[in-house]
Amino acid sequence: MSELVTIYIDGQPYEVPKGANLVDVAKFYADNGIPVFCYHPKMEPVGMCRMCLVELGTIMRDRDSGEVITGENGEPQVRWFPKLQTACTTTVTDGMVVRTNTDAVIEARDDMIEFLLTSHPLDCPICDKGGECPLQNLTMAHGPGRSVFYWEDKVRLAKHVPLGELIYLDRERCIQCARCTRFQDEIVGDDVLAFHERGRELQIITVSDPPFDTYFSGNTTDICPVGALTTADFRFEARPWELKDIASLDVYGPEGANISLSTRLDRDAGGIVIIKRVMPRQNEAVNEIWISDKTRFGHHHTRAAERLTKPKVRVGDRLVEAEWDHALEVIRKHIKPNVSVGAIAGPTLSNEDLWELRKLAQAVNAGAKLSIYPATMTGGDIIAQVGVGVGTNFKDMGSGTTIVVVASDIEEEAPIWYLRTKVAGDRGAKILVLNARETRLDHYAADSIRYDYGAAVSAVNDLAKHEAVTNAENLVLICGAEGMTLEQHGELMNACANLLVSTGHVGRPNNGLLAVWEGANVQGAFDVGFSTEATAEMMAKVPDLLFIAGCDPIGESAEAAGLSKAKFIVVNSLFDTPTTAVADVVLPSQSFAERDGTFTSGERRVQRFYPAQGVIGQSQTDWRIFASIRNGLNGSAVQRLTAGVFKELAGEIAAYEGLTYPALAVVERQFPDVGGDDLYYGGTAYQNNGGLGVQYPATSEAEGAKPSKFATKGKKTSYKGLTAIPVNRLYDRGYLFKYSDELMQQRIGEPFVVINPADAANIAGGSRVGVTIDGVQYEALAVVSEDAPKGFVLMPKRLTSQPGPFAPAAIETIEVIAEPVGA
Amino acid sequence: MLIEKYADRIEKTFSKYPDKRSAVMPVLYIAQEEYGWLPDEAINEVADICDMDPTQVRSIAGFYTMYSEKPKGKYWLQVCTDLPCALRGADKFHKELKEYLGVEEGGTTDDGMFTVEHVMCLAACDKAPMLQCNFHYVENLDMDKMKALLDEWRAEAKEDK
Ligand code: SF4
Ligand code: FES
Repeated sequence: MSELVTIYIDGQPYEVPKGANLVDVAKFYADNGIPVFCYHPKMEPVGMCRMCLVELGTIMRDRDSGEVITGENGEPQVRWFPKLQTACTTTVTDGMVVRTNTDAVIEARDDMIEFLLTSHPLDCPICDKGGECPLQNLTMAHGPGRSVFYWEDKVRLAKHVPLGELIYLDRERCIQCARCTRFQDEIVGDDVLAFHERGRELQIITVSDPPFDTYFSGNTTDICPVGALTTADFRFEARPWELKDIASLDVYGPEGANISLSTRLDRDAGGIVIIKRVMPRQNEAVNEIWISDKTRFGHHHTRAAERLTKPKVRVGDRLVEAEWDHALEVIRKHIKPNVSVGAIAGPTLSNEDLWELRKLAQAVNAGAKLSIYPATMTGGDIIAQVGVGVGTNFKDMGSGTTIVVVASDIEEEAPIWYLRTKVAGDRGAKILVLNARETRLDHYAADSIRYDYGAAVSAVNDLAKHEAVTNAENLVLICGAEGMTLEQHGELMNACANLLVSTGHVGRPNNGLLAVWEGANVQGAFDVGFSTEATAEMMAKVPDLLFIAGCDPIGESAEAAGLSKAKFIVVNSLFDTPTTAVADVVLPSQSFAERDGTFTSGERRVQRFYPAQGVIGQSQTDWRIFASIRNGLNGSAVQRLTAGVFKELAGEIAAYEGLTYPALAVVERQFPDVGGDDLYYGGTAYQNNGGLGVQYPATSEAEGAKPSKFATKGKKTSYKGLTAIPVNRLYDRGYLFKYSDELMQQRIGEPFVVINPADAANIAGGSRVGVTIDGVQYEALAVVSEDAPKGFVLMPKRLTSQPGPFAPAAIETIEVIAEPVGA
Repeated sequence: MLIEKYADRIEKTFSKYPDKRSAVMPVLYIAQEEYGWLPDEAINEVADICDMDPTQVRSIAGFYTMYSEKPKGKYWLQVCTDLPCALRGADKFHKELKEYLGVEEGGTTDDGMFTVEHVMCLAACDKAPMLQCNFHYVENLDMDKMKALLDEWRAEAKEDK
């Protein structure tokens, strides 16, 4: 931490970091909550609301000697500012004296509240924020206790203004703090919200097209200090005091975003406890207090009507519902000595699930193939060696740090990493973007390096000479897999690791490699012994007995069609999918919300999530299903809890040695300390009470470790003819997100392909086209744009119910099916 | 399109500022001159020209009173009625002017010629009653002078057509 200075708050001395914000300092070090409305610890202060007024002075010193000047009573003399000062725009300096409990301050707070309430509708009884509202709380704490609300003079403004599809604005309730506009401008970098008019008429507007449409819009509802911004998902759904918050984790991305599930018993859901909303849970090292809209609104799959409630067993060409005992018996009958076995784990299986799946598969056949779906990226072992050092925090990255993003449209693939990279860039970090096409992050890049699809490896190798790399104190590489086969991605991971090792940027905090895994626990799967190479081998040579859990390979990936050839297929699934359709036994598993477990994030942080929602039907936890099958083989029953499974796993997997459930649940006080009752301060993000998780060290961090070189062949692939490049979109119709509610469905949009104008001679933008690959036609809307490099067609994955290519593929033809509407 | 029609002026404006964004206010004036007020179309064009989000441009137009967000008459008459002017009869003048033209405060005559509104200090108190017509000062007014001027402007407008 930086230099410490001494300041006095209400007569007490405190040692605090020099240059820190007075509001933050008073709260953290002196437990003195200076009330604020416009100030937010994550944004630059603006001093707009005047709620934070305090008496401010400095201890007088003699100009020549520098001695403290004392008065007659021997007390140091203080030079006070003649008027009250805004604490939020004050940074602490040595000898600063602050008074927060004098009559003048108390009166000022009283006045500010009184003033705000003259223009506020006071419709708390029907307001979603009621009960967790900073304005309510500060009014109770500091307000005059009486209202000077003139009915004739009431501000009348629109009350249900959609700012986009997800967020509603109530103009009357807005207290003009500009937190939402600053969030969009400073943090997200998409300034589509602004004030219009002035004085009492001042109101939030958006006239942009599209309007409020970022992946982070939900966060504005957390930081809005009143009920002016609410989400379409939670509006009028429940009162905050009815909700119980349960610590959980995002299931969609590799960032490991900490969330809190607000749950309640719900009549409409058949009297079970359900998730009413998803809120961020503060973890300063992971997602601070931000979550993406996918994380926030993508919880409906957990109780979708399509959830499987009972096991199913194949009878002839039909799957019929069966009891658990029967279903398990049928599986056990097919487990014979020496059958070849494969296991395919989806990206949201917990470490415990993976461990039990591994044990089951290996109990049947020691040479079982343990594989990960989707098999698009590899190098979990490389991350375990040269991944970012323990203590890495994007928040600490600024000038001196270079962040390189390779082959990833990171806003779509890992929105929290995107956001934190962007903000680190604003603080002075250098961002390098290497990709074959332009992505959103290019706007913030110090340098955008374009390579041709197929030439990513040499682009990374060339970085060794790049000034932003040679001059970097800290270097972080974030590696995706766009436009690559699995093998090419292996090469790229090696090239990235090689660059880090040869430039000495491994084994310490804020240095090292991150992979943009396609899911919450892909790193965990690698750690537990699964791999994507195994998936590829398995697709080439299908085993007799196949366990598939937590994914829908056959429904999503064209490459996976052959899996149906396995002799006996057991699928654990939340839903009926094309994969369950070819299964011999289908077992209903539980969503993340109904159970506990651990995920390992892309930063190798092992974190816990907890049971929140009532169990749907007869569904079971994946690990328990695997354990039941295995135990049944020798007639014993499953007698353990998730923690026991984790304990066993941690005893066997070297990297997890010493990790325990209690250790993962440890919480420390974070700076700034958001959450709890201090709603006014950071908003409604939840305090972390579920644990900060533990980041296990990469092997390069060990004393005296000398990470070996990583070899690459540096081979370029050149593509001839038109080639389809599968790309990731945040909102897609993947296995879980497909079962979102209406709100999200409309955001996913219809399938499209992006074609370069040079390749679209006879194709008008907006027409429906049929893209034929490998004899299969994919129908999509044609977008003609330079976003796709010449010779390549961008094909978002998982937008249709038709399985598509996951690796670059030659396009046979593109034919126009229908001209654009209105042409 | 503003960018084509006023290419030179916009270019010249840009040259005075460090970046395009900083030039948004003068460019808004150009747009207002062209459209008479600032419809969405104008805002979008200015946003394009200055490389800004239209919301930000609309916000600026909303904050400053000299940008008009409602259609205005061909002649936009802003009468200062602050205290020093009022002492010299500006408020009476303002009232009579409205009556003469048959408009409410902020209203526009049926023929679309004149919009009348009162404004805060224009810093010409010594020459009150005064007004600004499309941002040009007209001073030491009384109703007789005003009527003559109105006729003059009407004639001028006819010629323009
Ligand atoms: S909508 Fe909320 S966050 Fe935005 S300015 Fe108004 S009160 Fe502040
Ligand atoms: S002025 Fe300090 S919090 Fe608003």
